[in-house]
Amino acid sequence: MPGMRSSIDARVERLARDVAQRVSRRSFIGGIGALMFGAASVPLLPVARGESPADPGDPQTCEYWRHCAIDGFLCACCGGSAHSCPPGTEPSAITWVGTCHNPADGHDYIISYNDCCGKSECGRCLCNRNEDDKPLYMPFKSNDYNWCAGSKVGISYHCSTARIVGIAK
Amino acid sequence: MKRGAADVAGFGVACVCMAMPLWAEQPVVLTSAAQANYMLNCMGCHLPDGSGAAGKVPSVRDSLVTLSSSAAGRRFLVQVPGASQSPLTDLELAQVLNWMVRNLSARAVPADFIDFTAAEVASHRRPPLVKVRETRASLLESAPDQIAR
Amino acid sequence: MSTSEHHAARRGDGIRPRGRAAACTALALAASVCGATARAQLPPDPAGTIEPLPPASPHWVWVNDVAFFAFPDGRAFLVDGDSGKMLGMLSTGYSFTGVVAPKARGLIYSPESYFSRGTRGTRTDVVTIYDATRLVPVAEIEIPPKRASLMPMPGAQALTDDDRFLLIYNYTPAQSLTVVDTRSRKFVGEIEIAGCALVYPTGPRTFFSICGDGALLVTTLTDEGKVARSARTAAFIDVLNDPLTEKGVRRGDTWLFASFEGVLRPLRSTPTGVEVDPTWPLFTPLELTQHWRTGGLQHLAVHGGSGRLFAIVHQGGPETHKDLGEQIWVYDLVSHRRVQTIAMRNKVGSIQVSQDPQPLLFACSLENNRLDIYDATSGKYLRSVDPLGLTPTVLVTP
Repeated sequence: MPGMRSSIDARVERLARDVAQRVSRRSFIGGIGALMFGAASVPLLPVARGESPADPGDPQTCEYWRHCAIDGFLCACCGGSAHSCPPGTEPSAITWVGTCHNPADGHDYIISYNDCCGKSECGRCLCNRNEDDKPLYMPFKSNDYNWCAGSKVGISYHCSTARIVGIAK
Repeated sequence: MKRGAADVAGFGVACVCMAMPLWAEQPVVLTSAAQANYMLNCMGCHLPDGSGAAGKVPSVRDSLVTLSSSAAGRRFLVQVPGASQSPLTDLELAQVLNWMVRNLSARAVPADFIDFTAAEVASHRRPPLVKVRETRASLLESAPDQIAR
Repeated sequence: MSTSEHHAARRGDGIRPRGRAAACTALALAASVCGATARAQLPPDPAGTIEPLPPASPHWVWVNDVAFFAFPDGRAFLVDGDSGKMLGMLSTGYSFTGVVAPKARGLIYSPESYFSRGTRGTRTDVVTIYDATRLVPVAEIEIPPKRASLMPMPGAQALTDDDRFLLIYNYTPAQSLTVVDTRSRKFVGEIEIAGCALVYPTGPRTFFSICGDGALLVTTLTDEGKVARSARTAAFIDVLNDPLTEKGVRRGDTWLFASFEGVLRPLRSTPTGVEVDPTWPLFTPLELTQHWRTGGLQHLAVHGGSGRLFAIVHQGGPETHKDLGEQIWVYDLVSHRRVQTIAMRNKVGSIQVSQDPQPLLFACSLENNRLDIYDATSGKYLRSVDPLGLTPTVLVTP
């Protein structure tokens, strides 16, 4: 029931537990195949892909720190980036929002997982991590919805971004 | 938006990062707790400025002030499922509502706006409202200052 | 051999042994009559033949396929569990969640979404009515283009128990149910269910949705498909710490839902609403320390006649409640004890059981385009249909 703990504190607890961010098989885009990794075994190293040391890791990988609760195809593999849509796709403003821990600066960032919509699925870099996912009857915490439903172009889902919108802690 | 120090020295990314400005170490600005809770629990549908999406998610920008000035309207703001069923405590929900009124309203917040309190939230929060569309419409229609729905 | 006998033999129709022997004898005679140069010559096949479906069997299953990497191309495959043959399929549009089979056979209802240009343009949602014996559309009912696009769930669409009204969960993200009258074949209205999701029928015109505060919203319809009564139960689901999954199964008047941590909650329909019955655990304390839990997309199945509950299980940490499993644990619904373990050949995420006295167990997963078939009583692996579809999701036995 609502009211037991602050949502921020609860999230920080879970993040502290989950530093080796696993892949789990949930959500709308399910766990197709072995996805893209030896997953949790790959250490998070800064990669020469244009991300700064303060924003380490490769946004084309599931292990990228912002992807702690992402569910879908990574737009960085599809002509977009961690926070921008590929050409000709439409960002969905309506989405779900989570918190991920940045190991480089130790902060918990509020991440908005805006989808890019209007074309068929990108089909590359399927990534399925769902920290704190809840069932469909708690929509604001559920990855099982196609969040392109709220976009101007409708439910055609192409890929997902992970946009920093704030710092929780 | 890129942020944080770009420590160019010692990284092969130097060339790639040429176009990036060299930021000095910036102080981290924490989002206030109320705003962070808005982001995590409400912003996904209501959007950062509360404008929502026509036909799908109502805008709160024009209605927050109106609704928070009547008892029935205030009950609505607490009982609407997005608020009522959120994992926020009664106090946190009160703080988010107050933040929303003060930061997302397109209209000026009246001087006599009464802050929501945990006690007020607790007394109205359950059970959540199901007939949201009809209740909202009738509240806004009957409001003394008619506004667009 | 007569032409009709020849055709009958090729179709594989049930030819009585005597007829088959007669056909073979006739062939042999013909061969001997034509002499040393005689070879059986096959007559040409008639053009434009469409294979009819065989008579319906309780061992048929619909394999719904959301076509994960090609959402516009949703499908539903009809499979005969005894022969392992694909009998046919339906092409069912964008982000397809599943077919609904009424008790009175003969028709299939399928909520579908289409864009005028495949992935863009004007969106139209319809309930397509298919003739279940010919697998062709026979009618279409347009509905508001709001059908929820989500991970396929049986609760995304359902018929009231009297088969009269089809209910479809909408998510825009506003939450509502579309009501379709299957008798008049018309859209009759939309019921707002703000804060609640999905639809689970419990009586002739009654159904519940699950709400985000942990309660159920129970609704009864009038003869016109409008709301006669709507009431909320007390909240009983621990939504923050151990929520019920949405993947319930039904036996008679009782729905059975497992929570993330494997606690089984029965919800029993009564003339006045829904009773929340006491929970019982799927896992012993020891099994919990070994991190056993249920997982998958359609992780429960029930055989009504024998009162057995089937659950896909795996060992995993918290938040793996949708992970695939390699074992099915079978529970007796009276004793609440595990009575059998069925090992799966492949990791699975969806199971279904036929409801006849010699049931089959069907199993598939999103990660493999294949349907595995087992004897549900002995647990013996029987056969697979491989490949089948693109990304099979929810299994429905008609």
